[in-house]
Amino acid sequence: MEILLLMLVPTLADLVFDPTLDVWQTHQQARSLECVRMTQAAAHERFPGRVPEPSARATEPDADAMACTRRIMAEGERPARDEAILSSLSRTVGDIAEVAEATVPGDRMWHVESFYPDARVASKIAVAARTHLAERGRSVSDRVPLLAAGDIVVLGSMDPKDAYRVACARYYAERSLGSAEAFLGIMLVDPRETNLHAGVCVDGEWKWLR
Amino acid sequence: MRRALPFLLAAAALPAPAVEQDPTVLEARRAQLEALRAEVAEQLQLQAFDLLDELVFGWTQQPVFATDTPVVLADVSVPVGFGSGLRALIENHFASVLVRNPGTHLVLAHCPECTAVVVHSTARGTVVARGVDQPEALAAAGIQTASRHALFLDFEAEGSALVLRARITSLTPALPILYAKTLSTTTSTPALLRSGDHLKSAEEARKEYLDALEGRGPVIIPLRIGVRTYASGNGAPVPGGGGIAISATPLVWLMGGAEISLTPARAWTASFSVGATWLPQIETGFMAQARIARLLTGSVSSLTHPDLYAFVGGSVTSLFGPGAALFHSGNPDLTQVLSGVLTSVQPQSTFGGLQVGLELRAKNRIGFAVFMEALPTLNDASSIGKYVDYGILQFQAFGAEVAFCF
Repeated sequence: MEILLLMLVPTLADLVFDPTLDVWQTHQQARSLECVRMTQAAAHERFPGRVPEPSARATEPDADAMACTRRIMAEGERPARDEAILSSLSRTVGDIAEVAEATVPGDRMWHVESFYPDARVASKIAVAARTHLAERGRSVSDRVPLLAAGDIVVLGSMDPKDAYRVACARYYAERSLGSAEAFLGIMLVDPRETNLHAGVCVDGEWKWLR
Repeated sequence: MRRALPFLLAAAALPAPAVEQDPTVLEARRAQLEALRAEVAEQLQLQAFDLLDELVFGWTQQPVFATDTPVVLADVSVPVGFGSGLRALIENHFASVLVRNPGTHLVLAHCPECTAVVVHSTARGTVVARGVDQPEALAAAGIQTASRHALFLDFEAEGSALVLRARITSLTPALPILYAKTLSTTTSTPALLRSGDHLKSAEEARKEYLDALEGRGPVIIPLRIGVRTYASGNGAPVPGGGGIAISATPLVWLMGGAEISLTPARAWTASFSVGATWLPQIETGFMAQARIARLLTGSVSSLTHPDLYAFVGGSVTSLFGPGAALFHSGNPDLTQVLSGVLTSVQPQSTFGGLQVGLELRAKNRIGFAVFMEALPTLNDASSIGKYVDYGILQFQAFGAEVAFCF
């Protein structure tokens, strides 16, 4: 029994290291940790040098692991709204794209555009959505449907909820979009929010997804 | 180091005393900030390189095109907040890896018009955009793009993960995306893919990583050569006061045994070894010792730096010969020593010890250890003194060892 305890102690002591309790780090550094709970098997797969392989004996309980990694961009290095959008970009855009796919049946050529106050962030959102759709086997185009300058002036003066519906109709009227195409728009409706909204434009009909 | 950047920026924004207005000082501060930014970009750059290597490796295994196809590197975008320096590093690395892996069938093509902003006017209106975004404008300018493709690489920092989104677009008017791939540092294997000439699969890279962490397996055979010195005692009292101080001679030990790793990457190890010593005419000895060691420099053994371990252990030593007479509690028995000289009956001593020490280990090849040893049964031996006396725990011996591991 003593030998068994001796073997277990170092193993357990190694596992209970908690990076959030590091006395040498500041509060800001502690807050910049991103922690994910996972099974011991998954943790061993990702961090083989840090987490031992789960025991093959069924009698031993399987432990959970908490993997904490530091965020690449520290708090305050990017505008708060951009950081909120970008740090969850894959998940948010993935959810939107999957709903869009389910909403628009058939094989259409997808066009994607995002409407966000910062052009660099807008580009990131659009690229993420195009890539996600293309990876799922959809036909996706890098081309962005265009409207005439006069349309844009009028749309700019409208309430966003109406503007996207009108823009969708104009895309078809201007033949920027055809019947074999679909348009996915991802946008901020209110510049103060951090939730992305989305809608699809199919056959001249605008439909909000979220 | 990046965490220090906001503080340095804040410090730079504070009203500066007159002495800090010196242009030389300001220049030095600016240079320091630039150096910090460069360091952050460098850390991110290595992750970006890993993702690029994995992307190119994927193309070598499943090429996008069956034959060599010209591709224009249309855009490399770095995470929001980083600048053109990182973009240039990524572009160079990507070009380098792609050139060294012709199996991808992607041939980088030079097309400055593709990335330049062009203005194209038609009856429907005037469009200002990059050449790759309006191939018809390039065609109107006489630039042949029909057989070309544009490659876009987009990096973004999402929380603690760096995400690469790559896509290849055909430069035809419809701009269809032919290939798209998302790679993230949270799902990719920490790569040893970085040797551009010989990219490996994630499984191969992981195996190499594990092999490197574990050294040559969980069990190694250390051969130790060590010396133990013993503190001088007060000596045996003599009539008239005082005493005769006889010091135990340092013992040189040759030991061999086995060491096993209790946890991955040798954060904890345990070892058992047996050894022998021989000093002509004085003593012969045997010893068995066991140790358990904990890595102090990190939670995994380092692939690049020596590792420092702290260890505790126990030993049992048996000595035979005249010198063994010193390793008894109380005063040395001279009768026993003389009897050993005159007859074949040699003095003998067996005692136990508790060790505490440090070992510096380089790549599990060579180690150097120093330790103190407490010999509880010799606490009142007149010939053996104490180096350190904590009352209940007294260290009578000091040792040093060099270990060669096989």
